[in-house]
Amino acid sequence: MKDSSVDDGCQRYLEDPEANAAHLQTCAKCRAEAAGLAEKAGAEPAPIDLDALPLAPWEGSSHRSWGLVLGGAVVVVAIALALCDAAGMSPLHVAESSLTSMEGIRNLLNRATTSLRAASIGMQIAFGAVFLVVNALLVFLLRRAPRGMDA
Amino acid sequence: MRRMLRLFLPLTIAAASLVTAMIAAPPDPGTHAPLTVGDATALLQKTAVIAALLAVWMLAAVALTLMSGREIRYSSLEMRASALHCFALGLVAVTSFALTAIVFSYLIPYYVGVPLLFALGVFAILTKIYGTVAVFHAVGTLVAGSRTREQLARRHWLRGDLAMVVVGVAVLGALRLIPIVGPIIWGFASVFGIGTALATKFGRREPWFLAWRASLS
Repeated sequence: MKDSSVDDGCQRYLEDPEANAAHLQTCAKCRAEAAGLAEKAGAEPAPIDLDALPLAPWEGSSHRSWGLVLGGAVVVVAIALALCDAAGMSPLHVAESSLTSMEGIRNLLNRATTSLRAASIGMQIAFGAVFLVVNALLVFLLRRAPRGMDA
Repeated sequence: MRRMLRLFLPLTIAAASLVTAMIAAPPDPGTHAPLTVGDATALLQKTAVIAALLAVWMLAAVALTLMSGREIRYSSLEMRASALHCFALGLVAVTSFALTAIVFSYLIPYYVGVPLLFALGVFAILTKIYGTVAVFHAVGTLVAGSRTREQLARRHWLRGDLAMVVVGVAVLGALRLIPIVGPIIWGFASVFGIGTALATKFGRREPWFLAWRASLS
């Protein structure tokens, strides 16, 4: 059984540490092992150039640019209010318009359900089969683990 | 299985593109009549509604990023790392939502359909909102994200999750205002967002289903 913690990069490093020395900069596990071995041998581990590492997604992410956020929000709200004013609409009209689109979806759903009820048994069974296939496919796709951090 | 998936994904994208083009195509391409005052007013009203909804999206995106910035960032990262998977998952999820809604609507006379339909609606809306904000973050990072540490250090305003989300809303919002093309882009963004939200379990990066493992000891 293959150990999932040892990937190809680690394997290559273990086979030829000198040729694959760059692997140490990306793999914390191998770096710790190399440091441990170096400590046992009384040698200094190779220094890591932090600036040479790629920028991590979380670096600087907690910074909150309130000026940009407030400026952007004010500009968007001002444009929306100006357009509403030019079109002679109130925010209530916008809410009504959104509700109208929801009403359209509801009508579509009602029509589909009525058609399904009026359909023959064969069609209803076919619909049930499609429903099961699509949901089985959804479950299959959901089983894949996310890979964003490891990409 | 992987070969089947490779075949399935291009077919799914081709089918989705065809359906989207059919839905988005103008109903009568032969008419080129000049714009009347009524048409211009309707267009202005439509633009006003879109701009107002963009303002709401901006506020929702900022609020959600303040509440759970890390989750939004994880989802955005996943979308950029495996875009095709997120898109395929989004397409299948939207189809599943629609079919499940029809089934639950079918069950309304048996009373159990109403709470199920309500729960599905709430889940779908939450997925759409979360996913769309993750798309804003991904687009903002692609357009204005820092590439190097020096670039990041030089910036004072254009850094951080909030700024990326605001830039994403601005870019996608501007694209949304383009007639015909805008709704298609927004629709694709919604599909991507729903897929990303489900693929990362709303940024929590936990498995949806527990895997059974036999005890070895």
